[in-house]
Formats: sequence, C-alpha cells, structure tokens
Amino acid sequence: MTSRQLALLLAGAAALALPGPVPDASAQEPKALRKHSFKVNPGPLAAPGNAVSTHAPFEAGDCSICHVHADPRKPGPLSTSGNALCTSCHEEFQEIMRRPHQHPPAVESCLHCHNAHNSRERKLLHVELAAGCKDCHRSIKDIVERSKVRHGALEQGAKCANCHNPHGSSVEKLLIQLPFDQCVGCHAQEVVRDDKGTALTNFKKLLDENKVWHAPVQARDCSACHLPHGGDNFRLLVAGYPAAFYSPFDAANYALCFGCHNEKVVSEPETRTLTNFRDGSRNLHFLHVNKADRGRTCRACHEVHASRQPHHVRDGVPYGSRGWVLQINYTRTPTGGRCAKTCHELKTYARD
Amino acid sequence: MDTHARRRLFWGILGGTLLGALWPLGGLAFANVEVGQKVESAELPTLDGGREVLVSGKALANVFVFFRPHHDHSMETLRAMAACEKEFDGRAVHWVAVVSDSHARDDVRAAVAEAGIRMPVLLDEGDRLYGKLGVRLHPVVGIADDAGSLLAYVPFRKINYCDMIRVRIRYALHEVDLAAIERVDHPPKALFPNEVPGAVASRRVSLGEMFLKSRQWTKAADQARAAIESDPTVAAGHVLLGRALAGQGKCAQALPAFDRALALDPGSSAAAEGKQGCAARKAPGAR
Repeated sequence: MTSRQLALLLAGAAALALPGPVPDASAQEPKALRKHSFKVNPGPLAAPGNAVSTHAPFEAGDCSICHVHADPRKPGPLSTSGNALCTSCHEEFQEIMRRPHQHPPAVESCLHCHNAHNSRERKLLHVELAAGCKDCHRSIKDIVERSKVRHGALEQGAKCANCHNPHGSSVEKLLIQLPFDQCVGCHAQEVVRDDKGTALTNFKKLLDENKVWHAPVQARDCSACHLPHGGDNFRLLVAGYPAAFYSPFDAANYALCFGCHNEKVVSEPETRTLTNFRDGSRNLHFLHVNKADRGRTCRACHEVHASRQPHHVRDGVPYGSRGWVLQINYTRTPTGGRCAKTCHELKTYARD
Repeated sequence: MDTHARRRLFWGILGGTLLGALWPLGGLAFANVEVGQKVESAELPTLDGGREVLVSGKALANVFVFFRPHHDHSMETLRAMAACEKEFDGRAVHWVAVVSDSHARDDVRAAVAEAGIRMPVLLDEGDRLYGKLGVRLHPVVGIADDAGSLLAYVPFRKINYCDMIRVRIRYALHEVDLAAIERVDHPPKALFPNEVPGAVASRRVSLGEMFLKSRQWTKAADQARAAIESDPTVAAGHVLLGRALAGQGKCAQALPAFDRALALDPGSSAAAEGKQGCAARKAPGAR
C-alpha cells in the first residue's frame, strides 16, 4: 500500500467514524430594510410596447394564474400572498433562499425589486440593476462615484451582479464566489486593462508559474488588500504602498503591509522573535528598510502575489532606468539564508 | 523510551503528517509551528492581573486569537470572536486572546471592551510567545486540540472568516468532519435563477400546469414545448405536452410524448396515467 493510499484509507475511515455535518447555526437574522427612494409601481406599464421584459403569465393574458379572477379589468387580489406565489413557479428559489446569506429585501418580497407584470428594464426590475442597488446601498454609491481609481467590473456587463447574487449566496456580502475565484474569473486573461489602458496581470498564468503564494492569495482573499468598489490608491489597494524601489522610511508608507504584518519587524534593530530574517539578533528587515534616505521598500525584495523563491523573494530587482534586472539568487539555509551577488556582494545570515 | 512512548510518538508523527497533508489550507502555518505540530503550553500573565494557560488539556478546542490594538483587522476579528465565543458557550472550548505586552494596557483594555470579548487576554512578555510560534501576522487565529496539536492556523480574511473559524472549532469538538471544512472553504458558486439546472424548464412546466387546470390546452402545450427546448431531459415537460395534446383530443401526438416521459422517468405515474387515458380513448367502444 502506498502512503497516498494509506492516507486516503485513514481519511475515509475518519470520515465514516465522525458524525455528519451539523446544520449551520449562523443563519442570518433578518435585517432592517433600507427603503427605495424611487416610487415602486406594482401594476403593468401604461404603454406595454415600452416593455423590455414581460412576465410570462401576464403575457399569456390569464390573470387568474396569480390573481383570483382571470379578467384583466378586474383581476382582484392575489390568490396567494407573499413570495410563496412567486416560488410556486420559480421553484429554484426553494434552494436559493436556503443559502446561508440572503438579501433581506428578497426575503421580504420579490416585489421590492421586481414588477410582476412588465418593465422597461431587464429581469422585470423596477429600475436599472446598478441604480436599484445603489439606491439602497448609498455608501457604495458614494465610493463608486468619488473614487479616483475605479473598478471596471462595476461599469461593465452585469455590473453589481458581476460579483454579487442579489438573492442568496453561501459567501458573505452575497458574493457569487469567494473573492479569489471571483477576481481570477476575470483577471485570468491578457485583455483586461485598467482605466488608463494598461494591461493588467493575468493571475492564472502568474499563479501557475509561481508556486509560493502570499497568504491572502492562499486564503483566496483578494479583498484583504484590494477594494473592489473603488478607491484612491493605485490598483485599488486598501492602503498606501510605495511604487518606488527606495523610499525614506515612514511606517505610514507601509500601511498596506502593516494591515497584517507586525510593524515592529522594521522598527526594532535587534530581535530574536520578530523575524527570521536576522543575523543573530541583528534585524535585517530593519537594516534594509529603516533608513532616512534610501530605505528599501517591501516591493524591492518581495513579490506581493506569488514568487518562485521562498519568503516571496523576487527573482530579481530592477536596476537603473534601462530595465536591467539584477538576479537576487536567494538561497535558504537551515538557520538562515544568503543572497548571491546582487545589490551587494554575497552575504549570508544565520539566526543562531 | 519505552514501547508505549515509542508507539505514541509513531502515531503522533503519522497523525501530524496526515493532518498536514489533508488539512484544507495546510500550507498556511505559524513560521515556527506547522499544522499537526505541537503548541507547547505556557502560563502567561493576563490583562486583569491573573495568569492563564495557553493550552488547556480540559478543552477539546484551544483557540488563540493574536491581535493588536488600534488595528482595524484586529478589531473586526475580535468582534467576530466575541460572537463566536457566545455561540460556543458551555462547550469544551478554551479561548485566549494574545497581545504583545509592548502595547499600552489602556489601549488593549479599550480594544477588548469595544469588541466585547470575554476570553482572558494574555500578555506576551517580550514577544516571547510570538517569537516561539513565529507569529508574523495580525490578527491570526490558531486552533489546537486538547493535547496542544495545532489543528488550524487561520490568518485574517475579509470574507467568511467567522465561518472558517467556527467550522474548525467544531471539527476540534468532533462535531463535523473534514468534508464540512472543505465545504466552508470552497462554498458552491451562488447560481442565478436561470443558471440553476432545470430551473427554466421547471418554471415553464409549473406555468403550463396552471394552464392545464384552466383547460387552456394550447397555452399549456406552448409552455411544454418551451420547457422541452430548455431541457429535453425533464420528464415533466413531456408529460405536460402529452396532457395538453390529449386535452385537445390529439392522442396520436400525445402518446409519443408520454412514451418519452416514461423513457426518462419510468416511475412517472402521470405519464402512465396519461398513456392509459389515451389508450382508453382509442379502445373500441370508447367515446
């Protein structure tokens, strides 16, 4: 028996021995609903010719499918109240509305967003989808409108529904998938460009070729570092991150990295606990970064998404203005490591 | 080393290796302690002047929350952990928050009060524990079993963080299996209504059945055809078509529809009844 077979056998045995999954106790409590500012007209359009979408039962002209009477002039009240009427045909909502995260307006009434007869908008929406979302989600509307750096996903295709499912999801914020899957779903091709026309990274290719992934990438959480709705920093970063190779040290410049990493890693000249990049107790992060004039920025030595070398060390560093790249040639040793001739002559460090 | 000790060592190493290999997000770990390895317990001073152990042998799940004050992600995590702590009230979970003793006590107290956590806050003197484990990130949550073996290392994330921690605690409590963790770590894509397999066809069938009730045979047949076009494998669509055609007296056309439905779903009583009804009409003497 191979070790893999043994592992699978034991895993299978363990799975059989353990009790099955217990229902999720985190079911959402209904939230107070925000209210639309636009006037909702529950009836059909005065001019049906303007309709972009029409509900099949209304189009069939048989009001009795939803109302107590068939006569369009006097359809009377609905035959069943609430969403139950809708889900009697739209049976897929039995599953959709059991998902752990639900959109409160959808839970309360389909009619908050949809007209049951016809509409000038797709999907029988009262108003254009993004306008409808932003009418309630005003803080997002502000971000989208005021941000210096915009995210194309909010302005193209299905807009908000490119990333969110307005009914229900297994992911928080009603995301269709986890952020990583969502982002890489689009950012996995060469044709995606920023608002200045610069081609953006093909992350599938990058991650396939570089197997040492930064923790947020491993954790499939792009939103740990990027703001999906818009922001003021380059590449929608949540906080500042110097674009240059050298920068006078200022902790504020590294707010992005210090959002997760301990800033003491570059503020303490001596340590035996804060970092493994030390020679004895001499903190080599401090040595490289904490300089009043030519401090090396994080990007000088580290790749932010994925690398070939351990510790997210870059393959090489840019040198001069002609695009020449100096290879770093980092080698990990049992108690430290070394960088071959690069920015400096061969240097070795050892923790003990 | 006696035989018993050697046996324990063997199973410990095997278990740790397997856990590390099979554990979802197995690649993530403290810098100095990997998933499957032992977190040595220590007794540390607490914020309220007492002392508390890092790992309790009485708990099935030992949860360590490493944080720092004046830090958005840490506060978000502490608030989530406060809710989680209440959810696991009365269960065999030992919670501790750990903070470097270099932070002002008042800042730590303010963070704890704002988040509402009730767990003891351990003060890491000289960052010794941080250094021993290799805690490089804030916030991060570690979960160990009663023997101190690290089961999970979960650094901060913006989305589904609480779900991911909760399911791992429940794993440590033997309430769920690894498959449950896998489901939380890789939740299914939230399909839109028209993407749900069979949804459009099912909707057409439902509407068509309403037309059948009001004896609107042509409209019912239209919906049946639309359902079949959307998904030819939905037996109910073929049954609906058969019934709509039979309702119009077109049994010769209805029979193939019922046959197709039975081919797709041999147990379809509606198709069998429809077929029998048509056969009865064709029978000699039938009206």
